[in-house]
Amino acid sequence: MEFLLNFVERTGAKAVGWWNATFAVLAFLTEVLSTLVRPATWNRATLDTIVKQIYFTAVQILHVYLVYVLAISWVIITITLSTARDVGLFDAATEMIIRVLLLELLPFLTALLIALRSGSAINTEVALMKVNNELDALSHCRVEPMQFEFLPRIAGGIASVIGLTVLGSVLTLFLAYFSIYGLSTSGFDAFSNTISTVFGIGVLMGLGVKCIFFGLAVTTLPMAAGLETPKKLFMVPVSVLRGMMRVFLALVLIEVLSLALEYI
Amino acid sequence: MFKNLHLKVGLFVITVLVLALAFLVYVLHARGFFEQRMHLQLAAASAEGITPGMPLTFSGMPIGQVASVNLNDAGGIVIKAEISQSGAKWLRTDSTFNLDKPLVGGAKIKVSTPDLSSPQLPDNATVLLLVTDPAQEIPALIERVKNILANVEHITRQDGELNSTLANAKTITTRMSGKYGVLEGVLGSEENARPVVNSLKNLEGLTARLNEVSAKVDAMLVKADRWLFAEDGMSEQSKQALAQVRSMLTDAQGSLKRVDELLKNAVDISANVKDGTQDLAKLRADIDDSVRKANDLLNDINRMWPFGGDADMKLP
Amino acid sequence: MASLPEDRAALVSPDLPLRANLSARENIALIPLYQKHFDAAEASHQAQTLLEQLGFASIGDKRDPDMNPSERFVAKLARALILKRPQLVIERPGAMLYDIPYPAFLRELASRFEGAPEKWEVFDFDWNRPLYDRE
Repeated sequence: MEFLLNFVERTGAKAVGWWNATFAVLAFLTEVLSTLVRPATWNRATLDTIVKQIYFTAVQILHVYLVYVLAISWVIITITLSTARDVGLFDAATEMIIRVLLLELLPFLTALLIALRSGSAINTEVALMKVNNELDALSHCRVEPMQFEFLPRIAGGIASVIGLTVLGSVLTLFLAYFSIYGLSTSGFDAFSNTISTVFGIGVLMGLGVKCIFFGLAVTTLPMAAGLETPKKLFMVPVSVLRGMMRVFLALVLIEVLSLALEYI
Repeated sequence: MFKNLHLKVGLFVITVLVLALAFLVYVLHARGFFEQRMHLQLAAASAEGITPGMPLTFSGMPIGQVASVNLNDAGGIVIKAEISQSGAKWLRTDSTFNLDKPLVGGAKIKVSTPDLSSPQLPDNATVLLLVTDPAQEIPALIERVKNILANVEHITRQDGELNSTLANAKTITTRMSGKYGVLEGVLGSEENARPVVNSLKNLEGLTARLNEVSAKVDAMLVKADRWLFAEDGMSEQSKQALAQVRSMLTDAQGSLKRVDELLKNAVDISANVKDGTQDLAKLRADIDDSVRKANDLLNDINRMWPFGGDADMKLP
Repeated sequence: MASLPEDRAALVSPDLPLRANLSARENIALIPLYQKHFDAAEASHQAQTLLEQLGFASIGDKRDPDMNPSERFVAKLARALILKRPQLVIERPGAMLYDIPYPAFLRELASRFEGAPEKWEVFDFDWNRPLYDRE
């Protein structure tokens, strides 16, 4: 009997914990959005911090990112082409490469890279700010950390996911074209035709929305997790652990949802 | 450092924006947003296997795609297709539209224009879409080809009609060229003369039949070619094998033509009977050889194609 | 201390640290920048002027971990002063200025500063009272 009660109690505690976490994230998102639409937010200082964040999130890792995209794209294009040749489906290879790499894999891997690099950093920083009372100090001064700490990171994260995905995609397109047709323009029409069948206006918009959600997930979830940290230094690693776990779940969820919307 | 940072971020943002915009323009261009597109309505009995985005090809080059597939109020199929401006010039009033569903790979609508001097197809024209499904006809086709080849084999087997006829002819001609000469062969007696006439008749009938058979095989192969191997679908090997079968049958046909000539000669019963005998022996060897090759090839085809003894289709 | 109405009093306290990844000047400039909506150059200029007035112009580019206790204290003080609230409360100065005779240091800073609020209030432990009475 006591065991049963304990079990119910533990389940209840877990559910409440989940609910609180979800609620905190949603409340944080609401605050982000309300700050976003406030005209006063968009002054020179905010733009400057956003520029700084884009620099740290995207420009600093650009060369690493491009090499990484080159390697992954090359491997996947080569495998797809040789398999397609073996089973006699060479016509479908271009479409398969574009669909797999440009629509799914590149945005996902970009978001994952930014989550690993910047998301974890954001989570740690916010948790430390919370533990060190820096957030209290800012609120005493009536300066909202949202505007110069959080919002620029979110905007920078979204811009970085979109920007890196665009650059990686263009690189992959060139790589795919040269892998299939070599250095000749003969395949251009057929290639364009495949691209036009894959990229409808709806698909392009869906891709944009997916990148925005990826950018939101890799920045807001770590921030929300950091803000939840109790004021104890040893809780910082726990907070990062939780935040990154949530980021991963969110990325998979977004990817699955986008696939479901596209193919079902 | 700060100046440098702004410069780098500015470069990054501008590059991304320019590339994104260029890609958008490229996609719009590829989708024919900037050009006047030609519209077509395709009438078909069934929309099965037809999806929006399916390409229309002319001589293997994409010229447009299916835009939408709908039912009209009368329950008919309305397939709307868009043709690029550059592709529209290949569409003439006598163009045919074929739904091509290969066993493996994506379906497409093949446009063929036999006469490029006929008048241009107008915009918004309605044309007929022909639908053939090779998957259902192939097993039957293969069965027929096999029967025909079995017939050929039967006719030309060691103790078959052709052989015995040729053997008869040989005996007669041997006798003609023998001690008693031509007179024994022709004027000897009725008993001797009758088999000659009979065998000649047989040979003639046989030739006709073989001709018919090989014509049939030929036609069938052309059909098979069109359905099965129109694009680099199945396998190059089978294609070659079929080509070989065809050339072999052409060989056999050639040999039979020679038999024909010889028979004419034989009817004349002239002085070149001796030559004729030699030729007949060689001919027999030729036909034997052709048939053996055809037989081997048939085995090869059976082995290579997934449909062995039973007429079941299996996809790789 | 917690009962102080926040908008009336500006607080300098060991519990209200500087933002660690910003320099002293940026920490101070946050207030004119985001609260009073000056542009970045003007806010930065105001912060630097205030630091000069307090005699610590050189700490502008230093971040929290690079400053010594008195420099850190001055940065916090400047951040509180630039809020321009009617009251200025320095809480437990001994906890922030642990390596110098801080009452004299506080008096010196107050004498350098011109502007509101003229009177600074110091909250300190009762047993530290003799330190203030020495002069």
